[in-house]
Amino acid sequence: MKKLLVILVCFALVFSLASCAKGGTGDQTAAPGTKAPGSGEETAPPDNAGGDITLENIKIGFIHIGDASDKGYTYNHDLGTKKMQETFGLRDEQIINMYNTPESSACDTAIRELIEKGCNIIFATSFGFEDYMKAAAAEYPDIEFCHATGYQAQGAGLDNFHNYFGNIYEARYLSGIAAGLKTQTNKLGYVAAMPYAECISGFDAFYLGALSVNPDVTMEVIYTNDWNDPSAEAQAAQALIDSGCDVIGQHCDSTAPMTTAEANGVWGVGYNSDMIEAAPNAVLTSAVWDWSRYLIFAVQSVIDGTPIPTDWSGGIKDGVCDVSALNETTIAEGTAEAIDAAREKIVSGELQIWAGPLYDNEGNEVVKAGEVFVEPQSAPSFNHILKGITILGS
Amino acid sequence: MSRLFHHSPREGREPLIRMVKRPQIPWAKANLIRAAALLGALLAGALIILLLGHNPLAVYADMLEGSFGSKVSRTETVKIAVPLLGASLCVALAFKMKFWNIGAEGQIMMGAIAASYFALFHHQNMPSWLLLTVMCLAGIIAGGLWGLIPAVFNAKWGINETLFTLMLNYIAIGFEKYLQNGPWKENPNGFPKIAMFAAEARLPRVFGVHVGWIIMLALVVIVFIYMKRTKQGYEISVVGESKNTALYAGMNVKKIIIRTMFISGAIAGLVGFIQVSGADFSLTESTSGGVGFTAITVAWLSKLNPIIMVFVSAFLAILQKGSNRIQTDFKIPASAASVLTGIILFFMLGCEFFINYRLIFRGRKEKRNGYSN
Repeated sequence: MKKLLVILVCFALVFSLASCAKGGTGDQTAAPGTKAPGSGEETAPPDNAGGDITLENIKIGFIHIGDASDKGYTYNHDLGTKKMQETFGLRDEQIINMYNTPESSACDTAIRELIEKGCNIIFATSFGFEDYMKAAAAEYPDIEFCHATGYQAQGAGLDNFHNYFGNIYEARYLSGIAAGLKTQTNKLGYVAAMPYAECISGFDAFYLGALSVNPDVTMEVIYTNDWNDPSAEAQAAQALIDSGCDVIGQHCDSTAPMTTAEANGVWGVGYNSDMIEAAPNAVLTSAVWDWSRYLIFAVQSVIDGTPIPTDWSGGIKDGVCDVSALNETTIAEGTAEAIDAAREKIVSGELQIWAGPLYDNEGNEVVKAGEVFVEPQSAPSFNHILKGITILGS
Repeated sequence: MSRLFHHSPREGREPLIRMVKRPQIPWAKANLIRAAALLGALLAGALIILLLGHNPLAVYADMLEGSFGSKVSRTETVKIAVPLLGASLCVALAFKMKFWNIGAEGQIMMGAIAASYFALFHHQNMPSWLLLTVMCLAGIIAGGLWGLIPAVFNAKWGINETLFTLMLNYIAIGFEKYLQNGPWKENPNGFPKIAMFAAEARLPRVFGVHVGWIIMLALVVIVFIYMKRTKQGYEISVVGESKNTALYAGMNVKKIIIRTMFISGAIAGLVGFIQVSGADFSLTESTSGGVGFTAITVAWLSKLNPIIMVFVSAFLAILQKGSNRIQTDFKIPASAASVLTGIILFFMLGCEFFINYRLIFRGRKEKRNGYSN
């Protein structure tokens, strides 16, 4: 009983401290904090009453699996967010980021907290968030839910649930050209997060790009089974380098594969953001996203009251993805010309990445000669591991 | 734990600082030490927050706001506390017997896997109440059996239970990964995840939180009575104090170890069931999510008392929820937020040392073997 009292006393202490804090620093908390009680009313009470969403009162929520310290996926998505914010001139408190959210019921929690804070539109950026987003979209029909990399919006029958992604395989193909021209061992390595279509189609395209300029090239892939696990990514990259790979590609959130390549004196091709800063002597180029294209489009749609497409996608010609500026100190001669030529053909439609004949690594013809595989949705579905690619350790 | 620091008088030069066990400390004084520790923790944490360039009071207030400030945050805090409380009850039973069960993590996972089996593959065959009952029993039995294995090996052959239970965690988690990537994968060609449960396999909610919280509070009372008021509970504490005494008193020590570990594992299995059917609605690698380890902290902070565990696990849930919130509001990095909670726990656990021991500096004469209070 005494101990119980002790705990209660401790609690009382914490509470009293906190309540002091609130009284004392109320003004300061309001500034960086979430709720600015004045601002909403000052701007336009009639708008709120009518339920109209304007640039003055819109609130935008984001759910991320990591945070910007990954310098990769989440960092790059944040860059898109900032660009969107600048474009519309939004205030800081109109944008709420939930970082480090696991792909579990924690995502559901994050969604509910964003709704509670008054978000009109919520973006979730990791594949495993989709089930929770879909469920929340059914529960809150007045709020827009946009999920990157997912595939369930088509067929969900919900007006407010949307998927977005893009033809990153086009950028992958271009970055593969840099790798294919650079490699001296004719062996590429690739650190991939998960054994499913998004990653598989990515390394396939990367390999096809390399193959287009270097017919002798082969590639080895290791899965980390985690989107963001820098130590596992570094280990996988090290294992690939030890087995003779001299250009490391990646589909995972951190820059660890690039820094590992640099430490071993070999080269790498980054993903998501321009990773040249992380490994200036290793990175040739990076396949990068510009998420601001979609974010600006989706937010504008909410303001205009126009519907957001169920499934949104864009490629190099839309500016959604591309390769970052080439690293002049590391790239092989002729890289820039080869990439520019291929980009032109991709934009014009002359070059199709998934043009047959394509064989998987068991010898089956997966795309027939003369045919082209067309992705039916924004989320990639091409999941054949192509001839010349070996999966290690599974 | 206190045995680690046993004071042994040495020949020769007197050490600079010696630790002396306190015989008995008035509870008011003990609490003064605890309050001082909490204050110290908050001050040390404030220093870190200052270094990060924020106002400590604003950050602390935001932590509380994030765990209590709204209906959603309150229910989410409770959702964090529920599995933590259950896992603490699990380890407390074993720890009372001085059986170092650090395998709650794996026992939770095995319970969750067993419960998920029925949720995934038999939900069409039964009404919801029956399905949930079957899932619950499956979780309890699977968790109990997972706890039984190290107990049998320890009782029969004296195999170290600490390592054994620890290693079984990784086997359980590895087994879940295998199921997730292989036979239980939702879409054979798709992303390696297990399907969400059907509506019948989900626990109902009471006051916005799944009924797991009521089950856990009931379990607290049951375990409290079991440990303090029953013959079996008495046997557990005797075995914990001295196996020889228990043998001399005619107790079947092996049986007591095996029985207790089954119960301990069964509680963890129940937690696993509650997590998959109440919180996650699916089985994932992070279903046990480290609560099996955090529960060890809770159990010790509560001195293995189930009633106190309710408050300590609530306290830890508040810390966790609050540290999530400050990441969002102040852009404090996740690692810094973990350091902050780590400091608070360090002080709270560390102060128990000063409650049990006092320090004697060289040159100061100790009065009557340390009986000075």
